[in-house]
Amino acid sequence: MIRITGGKVYDPANGIDGEIKDLCIDDHGKFVASVSGGRTIDATGMIIFPGGVDVHTHVAGGAINFARAMTPEDHRRTQAFMRTKTRRSGLGGMAPTTFATGYLYAGMGWTTVNEAAVPVLSARHTHEELADIPIVDKASLTLMANNEIMLDLLEQGEFERAKQVVAWYLWAAKSYGIKAVSPGGVAAWKWGKDAKQLTSPIAGYDKLTPGDIVTQLARICDEMGLPHPMHLHCNNLGAPGNIATTLDTLKHLEGRRAHIAHSQYHAYGGDGWDTMRSETTQLAEYFNTHPGITTDAGAVVFGDTVTITADGPWQHLLYKLTGRKWGNLDVENETGCGIVPYTYRPSNLVNAVQWACGLELLLLIRDPWQVFLSTDHPNGGCFWRYPEIIQLLMNADVRKECLQKIPDRIKSSMVLPEITREYTLSEIAVAMSAGPARALGLKEKGNLGLGCDADLVIYESDPDVLKMFGHPRYVIKAGEVVIEDGDIREAPQGKEFLVKPAYDPATDEFMRPLFEDHYTMSFENYPVEFERLEHPELRDCIPVTER
Amino acid sequence: MGGKVTCTLGEVKQRADFIIYWGGNPAECHPRHFTKYTIMQKSRFLPRGRKDRTMVLVDIRETKSAKAADIFLQIRPGKDFELITILRALIKGQPVADEQIAETGLSRAVVDDLIARMKRAKFGCMFFGMGLSMTRGKHMNSAALLCLAAEMNAFTKFVAMPMRGHGNVTGADVIMRWQTGFPFGISFNRGYPRYNPGEFSTVDVLVRGDCDAAFIIGADPGATMPQPAIDHLARIPTIVLDPHVTHTSRIARVHITTAPQGIAAPGTAYRMDELPMPLKPALKSPYPSDEEVVRRINEAIARKPFWLPDGRQPQMVATLG
Repeated sequence: MIRITGGKVYDPANGIDGEIKDLCIDDHGKFVASVSGGRTIDATGMIIFPGGVDVHTHVAGGAINFARAMTPEDHRRTQAFMRTKTRRSGLGGMAPTTFATGYLYAGMGWTTVNEAAVPVLSARHTHEELADIPIVDKASLTLMANNEIMLDLLEQGEFERAKQVVAWYLWAAKSYGIKAVSPGGVAAWKWGKDAKQLTSPIAGYDKLTPGDIVTQLARICDEMGLPHPMHLHCNNLGAPGNIATTLDTLKHLEGRRAHIAHSQYHAYGGDGWDTMRSETTQLAEYFNTHPGITTDAGAVVFGDTVTITADGPWQHLLYKLTGRKWGNLDVENETGCGIVPYTYRPSNLVNAVQWACGLELLLLIRDPWQVFLSTDHPNGGCFWRYPEIIQLLMNADVRKECLQKIPDRIKSSMVLPEITREYTLSEIAVAMSAGPARALGLKEKGNLGLGCDADLVIYESDPDVLKMFGHPRYVIKAGEVVIEDGDIREAPQGKEFLVKPAYDPATDEFMRPLFEDHYTMSFENYPVEFERLEHPELRDCIPVTER
Repeated sequence: MGGKVTCTLGEVKQRADFIIYWGGNPAECHPRHFTKYTIMQKSRFLPRGRKDRTMVLVDIRETKSAKAADIFLQIRPGKDFELITILRALIKGQPVADEQIAETGLSRAVVDDLIARMKRAKFGCMFFGMGLSMTRGKHMNSAALLCLAAEMNAFTKFVAMPMRGHGNVTGADVIMRWQTGFPFGISFNRGYPRYNPGEFSTVDVLVRGDCDAAFIIGADPGATMPQPAIDHLARIPTIVLDPHVTHTSRIARVHITTAPQGIAAPGTAYRMDELPMPLKPALKSPYPSDEEVVRRINEAIARKPFWLPDGRQPQMVATLG
């Protein structure tokens, strides 16, 4: 039991904006009205936020593990975690090891993370890695928009069957939702091609277009009643002029729910690398007029990182552009992935525009409940650099200082210099916690209300925003003090969220012969055993029309 | 340069119309490789199976695998790196002298034909074995071949994959990577993982006599390592977990017999393409699994005093610089 007294509470889910308020936590790690006994934390003069929620990150599974193998030179120069009584050893950096991932997230006040890209075929591996990420609660999304069995069904117009198959896959992966990466584009990459036009048939198909996949997969997610809508990485990522593709994709949603991943990478104008410019005004306008859609920024911070995505053709292009290491892993029937180390430089037009675009979207989309803090870790930068972005959002003077590093000829390609908006603390609490929790359908997260999970972070109030958000005084996870005065005190094991959407039991027998054709392992061994998950928590699926 | 352009074996089964085995003998070392994954399978894209695929074998001697190959290229021992480098130059149209090609044991006509076929392929895949990765040039050979595969993507789809073996060696790699950032050759002697193959690899640590105890699971270094390493294992307390009596268990101070994985103990094995496969035991064993033994040792260690004096915490260190 814990009582926290005298803190200034920011709890946007309950409309609380900086009220001095006591919080009580019971022995089950939930907020309650009162407790008797237990520890009291005097938070007078301090600021209390709900624990951070990362809606889109890559922290576990085959792709990030490939990236770890490819970047030993970074491991050497990065922060090392030594083993202690409560802590395993590990390394931070561009692609942190699993234990370090948990410590780093918790160390800056984040308590829930969503691993955004899991092939079913290696889901068993992903769950084992997630089990090795301590402290935080976890969810994962299954890659579907390039699954050839599903695409074949859509090509044949078998929508109902496709829906059953998607639900079957989701349960086989034991994951929480559906991720669509460059619909059709990764399937085309299996032949060295890409899919950039929403309305042209995909390589290897007669009729099926990326647009069809977007429309039908969004409908499947809604009809299955997933707590989190389709999580969509649009086609044509990173390319100059891709704003047209992005807006076209949004139209193909036909009014259905969706979360648009890392929209910074999808908001460019121009027709080549020399003429690339920000088109965030257009994209922000779309969000401002369509309140049902959410997004995360996928913001870029300058410096070294490693890019990881299922978008294989884009990574091939990045390898050709940079001449750096290139990892590629095509996954039978399901998806692919590419890995290229990358350095974002302020003097480079493309990088500077990308840096501006991320901040612009966060600042131009008016409702913070629609746009969330993310770097698409590690693609735009590592998650442990979030405090730097918070500082840029809250302080227009710091932005001005950063803009001075950018050559004048580039500034005309961005709108950031004209933006004066500064985030309030309450808006930051929405963008880093309450908003993403709501978008994920995790009602008891990002919320300090009675009955909710007691995940919270307490900061010493400090005009230096970077310091304040980089070094919380306390972090409490499920009612346990995990970080105190800069030390990791406890490293408990978090939960893993998953769903079991209903599907026709005959789907098993429908899948078996197709599976034996497309895959190279035995059908019985394919689904991840439920018993393999550590601390699983099943969540309900409620069709959107019945909500 | 660097990295790895690869795929899972199902992609090879579905699409690969052009397959090169380089420095490996799958017919004898991976006997199910041809039939399950590579040349014999029919698929929607290659409906005639073997007839729709071309297989090239590159090796220094004519092994049993040569019988299965459409084209066998016998090259001079120790000339793998040269041949790969020549291929990398020629695919880009850079000039290479006749005598440089001749040095590899192949003629220009043969090399030109190989390149034409590689570029014509819709989906090419190169598998490389220890004949490439463990002979003169070692990791430089593997790196060159991986570069060739990456560069072929300027012309068509191309991937490469090592032919790994020895039980679950891939699984050990995968897990060490997620827990420490590195696949092998790791030292924890400063309290956090550091990597330096050639210094921290098992064989190097043993030969230098750096370790004062050894704990060995599912491996038989006594059969494969150089004599000074084996001598050191015999000198120090060596503990072996193995279902069988091995060269190593004979020189070990303690041998704990364990249930064999996949036969009498459950678990997970990672395939050479890094896909995790569940192991379902068919038999019961009176012996404990490796996992159970390690867990019980861990529990016993946890009851001992912590490695630092009470009240002391190690500090996080920045290793920058």
